[in-house]
Amino acid sequence: MIGFSGILTAARTLSYYNRRQEITANNLANVSTAGFKADRLVAHRPADLDSPVPVEATDLSQGALRMTGRPLDVALEGQGYLVVDAPGGERLSRGGNLRLDGNGQLVTSEGLSVLGEQGPIFFTGGSIDIGTDGTVKSDGHLVDRLRLVVPGEGATLVKEGAGRFILKGDPAAGTALIRQGQIEDANIDSIGGMVSLVDIQRAYSASVTALRTMDGVLGSVTTDVARV
Amino acid sequence: MNPALQTSASGMIAQQRLIDVIANNLANVNTTGFKRSRASFEDVLYETLQGESLVNYQSNATVAPVQVGKGVRVASVQRFHQQGTVNQTGRPFDLAIEGDGFFQVQRPDRSMSYTRDGSFTLSNTGALVTGNGYLVQPGITIPSDAAEVTISPNGIVAVRTGDVGSSPVEIGRLELVRFANPTGLESLGENLYRETVASGQPINGQPQDAGFGRVTQGNLEGSNVEIVVEMTDMIAAQRAYEINAKAIRATDEMMQATNDLVR
Repeated sequence: MIGFSGILTAARTLSYYNRRQEITANNLANVSTAGFKADRLVAHRPADLDSPVPVEATDLSQGALRMTGRPLDVALEGQGYLVVDAPGGERLSRGGNLRLDGNGQLVTSEGLSVLGEQGPIFFTGGSIDIGTDGTVKSDGHLVDRLRLVVPGEGATLVKEGAGRFILKGDPAAGTALIRQGQIEDANIDSIGGMVSLVDIQRAYSASVTALRTMDGVLGSVTTDVARV
Repeated sequence: MNPALQTSASGMIAQQRLIDVIANNLANVNTTGFKRSRASFEDVLYETLQGESLVNYQSNATVAPVQVGKGVRVASVQRFHQQGTVNQTGRPFDLAIEGDGFFQVQRPDRSMSYTRDGSFTLSNTGALVTGNGYLVQPGITIPSDAAEVTISPNGIVAVRTGDVGSSPVEIGRLELVRFANPTGLESLGENLYRETVASGQPINGQPQDAGFGRVTQGNLEGSNVEIVVEMTDMIAAQRAYEINAKAIRATDEMMQATNDLVR
């Protein structure tokens, strides 16, 4: 059944491009999300299969830094993540629009506490200074130092939404510089995103055409061959 | 339906919210004491389509799971409490705060609210009130025979009643409040803010106390909106909106191609 396997291959290809389209749409929707890391879906063709198997990779490269002047906008430059105390356990984050809650605790925009080396960070004074090495000072007095980690050897990151990553594996010490008053833009290349929209759409139509052609061949096989 | 449609729609909605915030900032570019806001976004839940262990081929190395994000949403709209430019007006009851702090204003329902807008005036009884007629707290009443009113940078209100050269008499002192987290204040309109759980309790003090700014008479604090920043943000938001609209169209054409499979 050569015709059937070809149709199945084309159908799998269609579902692969559908998934790529979903991922591209999500990247483009997050073009203004601070600290967002773009996802990519790449095709791997295992030896025993004709159609590609989708393998996802998150592009963890640095996004552009942008000055905002807001003292609690925190961006990271280089390898590293801040540690956030989320309901499901500790999560990693690239920083962003931090704020203080009513108790003066440093929290993310969802209200999850950002952890220092000694736990949650509280501010009582007026001014807030965060050094490039992560030292946090309030009115000149040292409060704590932001915990900075990277995934250790063999560890992977899984996205949780809201800019958070779940670390699967052990952490290691991060080396990033902390930039106060700056925001890390999403690392999305919007031209690349537009190109992949076109690319996906054309590849999809090509697979649809291939599927139709095979359907036509199969149709003539089932009708014309019988008429001989 | 293709989930990419909703994902792209969430992108368009988020950019629309950003434009709303920018439009409000621009509309208030000349509002006394106005503080600009900014919308910030976050990615939403990820759907794991395919677990880590499913795609093991050739070796035992695990492959990252295939996760598809479901778009974006507005995480917060944050107000920037940076100092606005102080403009000279020469009016004796125009007060600007240079540095941290808010004036306290009692609203008609007797609740307290806070403002950076010091364009005060006098009521028919001589009480210091805001432009909307709300009493400034603690209450300060200017005697009707006052010839000159001076307000010092530390908030002392003094009046001179007699001839030029006679010494001014202190009649009251302005107080300010500040908050641990002014970003958490709730905006009430009319340039007024209300305390919330997020802002923390108001901390009372006098102008020029530690952590408080000074009061300058005959000046008003302009808005801290920078038109150039808002315009460039608006251009970026508009382009991001277009990109998401294009993604919707591309998804639509893919669905159209799928529908054409069966004639």
